[in-house]
This record gives sequence, C-alpha cells and structure tokens, in this order.
Amino acid sequence: MLEYLTAGLLMQLFINGILFGTMYGLAAIGLSLIFGTMRIIFLAQGAVIVLMAYACYWLFTLLHVDPYVSTVIIAPAALLLGGGLYQALFRRAQKMEDKNVSLLIAVGLMFLLENFMAVVWTPNPRSISTSYTSSSLAVGGLDISFTRLMGFVMAILSTAVVTLFLKKTLVGKAVRAASEDIEAARLVGINPHWVNTMAFAIGIGLSGIAGIAISTTYPFDPYFGFVFSLKAMIALALGGLGSVSGALLGGIILGLLESWAAFFVSGGWADAMGYAVFLLVLLFKPEGLFVRSIKKA
Amino acid sequence: MANHLLEIRDLTVAYGAVQALWGVSLHVEEGSIVSLVGANGAGKSTLLKTIAGMIRPKKGEVLFAGKKLSGLRPEDVVDAGISLVPEGRRLFSRLTVKENLELGAYIHRARSSSKDSLERAYDLFPILKKRSGQIAGSLSGGEQQMLAIARSMMSKPSILMLDEPSLGLSPLVVKVMFELIESLNRAGVTILLVEQNVYQALKVSRHAYVMKTGQIAMEGSGEELIADPDVQNAYLGTLE
Amino acid sequence: MRNARSIGIALLVALLLVFVPFVSDSEKSYLVFFLFLTFCHIVLAQGWNLVAGYTGQISLGTHAFFALGAYTTAMIWRADLFGTGHYYFDPITMVLSGLVPVVFAVAIGIPLLGKLRGDYFALGTLGFGEILKVAFVKGGQFTGGPIGIVLPSTFYTSLRPHYWAALCLALLATAVVYFMSRSRLGLALVAIREDETAAASSGIHVLKYKVLAFGISAFLVGICGSIYAYYLFQVSPEGYLILSWTLYPVLMCVIGGSGTVVGPIVGSLVMTAVFSAANIYFPTVHPIFSGVIIILVMLFMPNGIVRLMERRVQGE
Repeated sequence: MLEYLTAGLLMQLFINGILFGTMYGLAAIGLSLIFGTMRIIFLAQGAVIVLMAYACYWLFTLLHVDPYVSTVIIAPAALLLGGGLYQALFRRAQKMEDKNVSLLIAVGLMFLLENFMAVVWTPNPRSISTSYTSSSLAVGGLDISFTRLMGFVMAILSTAVVTLFLKKTLVGKAVRAASEDIEAARLVGINPHWVNTMAFAIGIGLSGIAGIAISTTYPFDPYFGFVFSLKAMIALALGGLGSVSGALLGGIILGLLESWAAFFVSGGWADAMGYAVFLLVLLFKPEGLFVRSIKKA
Repeated sequence: MANHLLEIRDLTVAYGAVQALWGVSLHVEEGSIVSLVGANGAGKSTLLKTIAGMIRPKKGEVLFAGKKLSGLRPEDVVDAGISLVPEGRRLFSRLTVKENLELGAYIHRARSSSKDSLERAYDLFPILKKRSGQIAGSLSGGEQQMLAIARSMMSKPSILMLDEPSLGLSPLVVKVMFELIESLNRAGVTILLVEQNVYQALKVSRHAYVMKTGQIAMEGSGEELIADPDVQNAYLGTLE
Repeated sequence: MRNARSIGIALLVALLLVFVPFVSDSEKSYLVFFLFLTFCHIVLAQGWNLVAGYTGQISLGTHAFFALGAYTTAMIWRADLFGTGHYYFDPITMVLSGLVPVVFAVAIGIPLLGKLRGDYFALGTLGFGEILKVAFVKGGQFTGGPIGIVLPSTFYTSLRPHYWAALCLALLATAVVYFMSRSRLGLALVAIREDETAAASSGIHVLKYKVLAFGISAFLVGICGSIYAYYLFQVSPEGYLILSWTLYPVLMCVIGGSGTVVGPIVGSLVMTAVFSAANIYFPTVHPIFSGVIIILVMLFMPNGIVRLMERRVQGE
C-alpha cells in the first residue's frame, strides 16, 4: 500500500481530514457548551444535525433554496429551536440535583428524532446535488472538493462568531462563568436557566450549520446521527471541555486520524481506532490534550 | 432606634436528615459590622448560604428591610441587595480579573453603572487594576480574596456577607483585609462576617454572635465578647 | 413483618407464573411470549439497576455484555467445545456465557470506574460497545462477521424452556438486588452513590465495590444474552449490539424506579406491555413511541412509579 503514498496523496488525505474534521469540531463545540452549562452529554446532538440536514435537503428539493443560502433560514431557526427545546424539555430536569434525568431526556430525544425521521422520511440515504456539488477546486496540484471547502469555511466562520460571543458579550462571559462554577455564577446574579438556554441554543444553532455542511458533502440517513454523536464526543474528549478552540481542534485531529486510518486500514477498524483513542484519552488525559490545568481560585 | 436591616427569625436548616441550624435568630443593624464566630461545623457558613438563597430552610424566616427573603433564588437575593463572598472565594479562575469584576455587575440594576463601579473597584484595589488582564487563577491568595470582595461589591449591595475571608491568608494580608472591611463599612456597606479569626473579627464588630452546634450560644458587642472569659478561653487562646 | 410478607407474596406470584405455560399454549398464546420478553427485560433492568440505581454509575454498555453472553453461547455451541453435542440450555454453557462478560467487565471496569466520573464513564461504556461492535463485524470466521453465527434451530421444541429459564433468571436477578440492598455491600454502594469522597474516607474501597457491582451486573446480563440466543438461534451484531438493548432496560428501570428492588419489575412489565401493544397496533410508528415515553416519564415522573406509589401511601 505504501507504494501509492506520494506526497500529493498525503496532502490530499491531510486536507480531507481537516475539512471533515471541522464538522466534528462544530458538533463538539455544541457539546462542550451544553456540557459546560447543563452538565450532561447531549447524546442527541448527531440526531439534531441530521434533522438539520433534512431541513436543508427539503428546502432545496421542495422550494429550490440553495443549501448555502438556506443558512439564513436554518441558522436562526435552529437557535430558536434550541431555546424552545431547552425550555420545554430540560428546564424542569435541570433544577434537579440528579443530572441523569436530563441525560435520559436527551436519550429520549435522540430516539424520538431518529425514529421519527426514519418513519416520516424513510431510511433511504439522501444527498443534495446541485451544479457545484461535484465540482472541485484545483489548488497547487490538489483536488479540493468545493462543498467540503465551503463546509470548512462555514465551520470556521461560525466558530469565530461563537468565540466572539463568548469573549466579548456579557452574556457570553456569563456562559463561560457558569460553565466553570454555576454556584458562584448564581451568587453574582446569573440565572442558570438563562445561560443554559443560551448555550443550548448555540449548540443547536451550530448543529444547523453542521447539518447544512453534511447535506452537501455526504449522503445521510436517519441513523447517521448516532455515530456522528459518538465522533463528536471523541472530538470533545480530545479537545477538552471548556474550550471552544479545543473542541474544534479535537474535531480536526479526529478527522485527520480517520482520514489516514481509513487509507491504511479498512473503514471499520478506522472507527475502532477512533474509539480506542477516545478511551485512552478519557483514561489518561480526561481534561483534553490541550488544556493546561489552572488552579481553582 | 437603629434599623434592623437584616433579621433572621427561628431559622431551621437541615441537610437531608442532618440538622445544621436549630432555630437561629439574629439581627443586623444597618451600617454595622456584625460577626458570627464559632468553631468549625457550628453552622456559620450554613447560615450565610441560607440567607444567600443557596439553601432552603425548613422553618423560619429571613427578613431584609422588612421583606421576606426566604425562598428566593440566589440570583434574586443578589438583586435584592445582599451579596455573598463565598467560602473559598469561588472566583471564575479561567476568566480575567476584569471579566470577573464585570460579571459582578451582571444584575440589571448594577449594569448601567458598571463602568463607574469598575473604576471605584480599581481605586479601592489598585492591585486589581494592575492585573486587570490577567487570568484570575494566576493571582496570589490575598489578591484573589480582594478580587472576590471587589466582585461582590460590583453589584452595589446593601449588605455584604463574607464567609471566612481570612482563610489561607498570611497575617499581614489578613490585617490589610480587615482594614479594607472597615473602610467599606465606613463607606456605607453593612457587613455580616463569618470568621475563624475571632479576635480580628470581634475587634471590628459593633455586634457579634457566637455559634455552637447550630445555635446561637452568646451575643453581645464586639468589645463585650472580647472581654468575656468564656470566649477568651474557647476562642482567643494565646493570640495577641 | 413487612419484609416476610413481601417475600411471601413474591414467591406466590413466582409460583403462579411457573404454571402459566401449562395453562396457556406456549406456541400459540401471546401471553407466554410476552412474559418471556418481560422476564428478559427484568434481568437487564435489574442489571442496570445494580450499577446505576444503587451505585450511581450510569453505564450505557448493557448491550455489550448482552451480546458477549449471546456470542459466548453461540461460539461454544458451534465449536462443540465440550464434544458432547448438548448445548441447548446447557447449564455449563450458560454459566460460561455469564462469566465471559464478567471478565470484560472487570477488565474495562477497573480503568473506567477508577478514573472516570459520571458522564465520562457513560461515554466510556458507549465507546466500549462500539469497539466491540467493530470487533464482531470484522471478526471473520471467529465471530461470523456481519452475519454472525447461526445455530441449529432444529433443537427448538417449545418456548417453555426459554420461559422458565428467563423466569428463574429474573427471580435470581431480583433476589440478588434484594439481598444486596439489605447487606453491607448494598450500604457501601449507596454510600458511593451519594458521596464518593465521603464513602472513601469512611474506609470504603470504592473501586472494589464499583467493579463488583459492574461484574455482577455483567454476569446476569450475559446469561440473559445466552437465553436470548437460544431463542433467536442466531447471534449477530445487528441483533444484539444495538443501543436498544441498553436503552430499553434503562428506560424500564427508571420508569419503575431505579434504586428500588421492585422498580425494574414494574417498569419492565409496564413498558413491555406498552411497546408490545404499540408494536401490534401501530407497527410503523411504534419506535417513535419509546423516545416520546422516555421524555414524558422523565418530565413528569422522574423518580419512577414505585416511589410515586410510596409517597401516595405515606400520604405526602
């Protein structure tokens, strides 16, 4: 196999890995924000991303809205949906000490969404084909798929927006503070439900972006979500909780890992390697690969 | 007749099956410094946390300026005008000094004057201005305590509650801190202080309570209690 | 004494249940199959109850141990390991099918339970399940690959042995939880669930107890997998290593009341009934049901039916 390995191919794998990795990264950022505030792993993240992918697909198929243009519709809708979902489903559960109730609601939501999509839209894989979905750009002798590049750009942009929100706005700082110490946050007057709602809404909003990117790059079906959730969790573990850039980086690393592993080893084992790395990181560096531990004040 | 800004009546608090406060009653006059002293586990922290809304009492009332406070959520208690500097400081260690302070003024009524409050905080604590861009977790113990107090002051509270502020600090820093508490009080802030450092606490207090196993064992003015032989035996040892 | 009376009632019910297959035709009646399925769910739910309800460790790996037990049975049978040809409901095979998952439970339990808390642990068990799935799919001849292993269905005579085996296992699982909850082990587990650091400073060897609960749970779940393999006459990644085999037991345990002895029984009975009815009357939309029900129960009855009933009785 190694005889096929040229520098060009290596670069190609590298680029593909990064491009796809940002998808994981987006999902991981959402997970990170939700975990930081609500203290649960939002297992339904992947299912929500697939739901958004379907939204993009149907907007395109029925109303002929270009997938990238649909961002204008989907992103705000996703934010609102996130806020609404939190208020409807999680608000009461979050008041309880036992966070497992919230965890199980997330599980229920995952089940609900997956099966709902399978029943209503059939388990057949869907994908979007436009004039540009199969085109690629030639950059320095490499072929970069246009849609993957767009997905990458969208991911970077949304990450930047979210980072700005967290760093520059008072509410964003409140979200960061609450992620670190919710009790101390309440003692300065921060309402936990408000920060939870914000974090959750952003998480769902980012899922919207990821969904659009997925729908234009890969065929997807209702069950695609669960594996994607797992991958997002791996990315999160790699990047460490509490760091937006870490989550994105974690996703990119995972993307690279998968890209190379899939080349050298068959697809299934590449997945297993991902999970194995995941377990190793959880066991030996649970705070993530990049986070330096800061003494608690 | 002075105002009882804060009044606690017959407060009973339990952690599950374990009772922590047994019918505690006390009052805090407006403009005074009141201390709660006593051994570990006497219930002092529990009392502050209950006032702050972090714990729900089983029985009893907390009245602030005549209005019932019990049952309010912590964020509403801050809004009402009582701010707690918690035990262990509980800073947002990953955020900068400035961000910690900004968040201190998070509640609506303090937000519009946030910039002024920030300037005043920097005047009062010049070291914080110097370190304003630094991550809070990188500050020294004394600086962190300053930041915690400054953060609580940002919400423009009528009552400032401090839970063991001298914990883990060197004697020199502790001295500076008590001077700070007195100057805050002179500026008009009523202070409720829980302290292990009994002597210093009693020295600055107009009124004080000694707590033992969840109940008030003694009360009196700061001077009275310092002079009291029981207090001296139990808490003052051979200090100063 | 209340306890003696409860045990008495339980034994009476168990005795009655033993006779059901004599009264009802096990091949034609839905009742026998329904009860068989319920018993299996009870075992899985009690298994989760032990680890999560009592010890407070949310595991999402029940399906992994379920599959390990099933595959062990299938592999022993196919390989004619004992040279006897008698593997159908062979006790030794079944016990081995319980022990193999225990080995895995201890092997991954020690690092995962020792180092991971809460959600991280749940993730770790999920990851383990996924790795196992890949291993089975890629196992080639050894595991039968994506199709799995097919067992000779000629051995099937009736559903009765499955019914009684499952009933016994369900009784055993409940008995284990019951006696454990009243033992020092049970106290230790609950102490760990409530406050690990406090438990540790009271001298409780936290890791040992966590792994013990995890292992016992894996044993029960593994044997259940064996029984189910005897029912389906096939083991495959698609049939066993799916999240439903974890989520349904979790749902049933939580609905009934996790951390109680009777909760998983009530939950399994109710939910198996609900899902069976949904499967019969709304077959197309039935899978959506489970999601909706989990959400509704968590919103309105998060402590489970048993505790709700207890509170009514106490007149709160």
